[in-house]
Amino acid sequence: MLSIKNLNVGIAEKQILRDFNLEIKPGEIHAIMGPNGTGKSTLASTLAGKEDYEVLSGEVSFNGKNLLEMSADERAREGVFLAFQYPVEIPGVSTTNFMKAAVNAKRKHNGLEPMDAKDFLKLMKEKLALVEMNKEFTSRSINEGFSGGEKKRNEIFQMAMLEPTLCLLDETDSGLDIDALRIVANGVNQLKNKDRSFLIITHYQRLLNYIVPDYVHVMYGGKIVKSGGKELALKLEEQGYDWIKEENSELV
Amino acid sequence: MSLIENIEKQFANVSNANVVELRKSAFTAFEKLGIPSSRHEEWKYTNIKTKLNERLSLTPADSQVNAAVKNYIASLPPYAFRIIFLNGVFHPELSIVPDTKGLTVCSLKEAFSSHTTLVEKHFGKLVNYNEEHFAALNTAFVNDGAFIHVQRNVAVNEPIYIQYFFTASDVNAFTQTRSLAIVEEGSSIQIAEDFRNASNINVQYNHVSEVYVGKNASIDIVKLQLEVSNSIGIHTLESQVERDGRFSASTITFSSPNTGTSNAVIRNNATARLIGENAHADLNGLYFGKENAHIDNHILVDHVAPNCTSNQLYKGVLNDESTGVFNGKIFVRQDAQKTNAFQSSKALLLSNDASINSKPQLEIFADDVKCSHGAAVGQLDENALFYLRARGITKEEATQILTYAFAHEVIDHVHSKPIRQFLCDKLKDELKVNF
Repeated sequence: MLSIKNLNVGIAEKQILRDFNLEIKPGEIHAIMGPNGTGKSTLASTLAGKEDYEVLSGEVSFNGKNLLEMSADERAREGVFLAFQYPVEIPGVSTTNFMKAAVNAKRKHNGLEPMDAKDFLKLMKEKLALVEMNKEFTSRSINEGFSGGEKKRNEIFQMAMLEPTLCLLDETDSGLDIDALRIVANGVNQLKNKDRSFLIITHYQRLLNYIVPDYVHVMYGGKIVKSGGKELALKLEEQGYDWIKEENSELV
Repeated sequence: MSLIENIEKQFANVSNANVVELRKSAFTAFEKLGIPSSRHEEWKYTNIKTKLNERLSLTPADSQVNAAVKNYIASLPPYAFRIIFLNGVFHPELSIVPDTKGLTVCSLKEAFSSHTTLVEKHFGKLVNYNEEHFAALNTAFVNDGAFIHVQRNVAVNEPIYIQYFFTASDVNAFTQTRSLAIVEEGSSIQIAEDFRNASNINVQYNHVSEVYVGKNASIDIVKLQLEVSNSIGIHTLESQVERDGRFSASTITFSSPNTGTSNAVIRNNATARLIGENAHADLNGLYFGKENAHIDNHILVDHVAPNCTSNQLYKGVLNDESTGVFNGKIFVRQDAQKTNAFQSSKALLLSNDASINSKPQLEIFADDVKCSHGAAVGQLDENALFYLRARGITKEEATQILTYAFAHEVIDHVHSKPIRQFLCDKLKDELKVNF
């Protein structure tokens, strides 16, 4: 469903991703780990269509379509979802209104009528339960005054509402206490199905105790330098990244 | 007939000689002042002289009710009370005048004869017609307007909706309308003044409101300028707030074009004078400029007495080639110790050709006060835009949603629930936001 070939990406004239390659099939969970500054978040932002990032060369195909030709909002309507590392606070727009606009934008894209109010409320109620969130959250301004954990749960709630096929989680676990981490992971696990794929970017092996990945990749110097199963994450947890850095010293 | 004779003729039936004298001296003042040019400091960014038609007439246009007037009245929420003026002429047949004990609502013309003592005491006493060009002109030549008086300790629960319609005329009428509101001790009222061009071609008007807030009384006034395309409107709002009184004014200006080119020029002068201890004033505004509309807000909060508080919150959204002016002044007199005054002006420029001149001014002569002001001009937050787009919302809709969020804060401050709801719906229409 997602195929990235020789992707080179830069920002402000500095190249970050170098000949990056990755294949994700429907229903797979991939985890990407790696030290700071190796391009993990750049990868997520580039896939979501953030315009600050400049694609220098390479191809990204998503369900057979050229993802790089689509605007950020088009990608989302096609089924790409980015759970932000730093969710944005937007005073004056309630989460309910935000989700109404987003759900209906996607429905319109799929040639459907806007969802009627009753069905929408039902859908919200169901998805809120998934992340153990209270209805009050949705009448508050988006992320305004939310704790770190609430913001990340809100990301998973939005993911559940929009039912994407490719979920990009950009350090969703960073800064979460164990309780919030469990709720977030639980939400993800319930959303997992044979058609929905996940790309989970994380610093810490801890999240992978809750979400079991099919593949673990290690990024260094803008590319994947090592791939394996979940045991790779355990090795990284024990030994740190020094051995990766040594093996790939020529990349930096 | 000379203009002085004209005034005398107009008010032949005004029994009160003092009012006639006041109007004559306002005319003398206007003769000296004339129409200001952009060399005048207060009119530097609004060259009104070149905007107003050179051959203006003080004879108002025909006041025959047209379909636009009827349709608009029909589109309004079912307010309990409404007072309708067309080209400065009161239309009792379209109005719903309250018959509430302790509350008087009538036309100013009627009040000149039926409430002479009140009128003599208050009419023309808040405006500074010796220095304010358009206040002088209006005081001398006022056509008509609303008179509102609330006796002591009366809470008026339903808003009074005053509708001023204007239509174009062959003679370039420069219509002079005016409201006078007097709220006595311990009373409260909500008032809306809605100004509307009921023809698609140019209208010019000059409106003055004088508002007296008695001790421990409260007035919430909303000025609606919702479709000002092809209008040149000059507004002067003068208020005086006594001890423990509370005054709130929200001025909402939408220059929605209905003809493809908006030549709107709107000038709002709003003044709140806090003359008794513990008085409070809120002066808020929201303005949307489109095409080549020009919207100018001049605000003055004058802290005369100690222990008073005031807030100014102005927000603007400027599109196309529209221009905005914000001039907000906080004046704290020597005796006004323990003043707490706050001012905020924010403008969103949604096009490269839109512009704003923003000038906050603090003049403080007391030494124990808290005053602050902030002015910001900018674009929508890129991170917020991306966040909405990352959920599938188009750039256009995301822009509308964020603009709605920006603007909504001002409407939130409107106290009257039906008027707030009406404005909220208008804002959604304006921005095509459908949640």
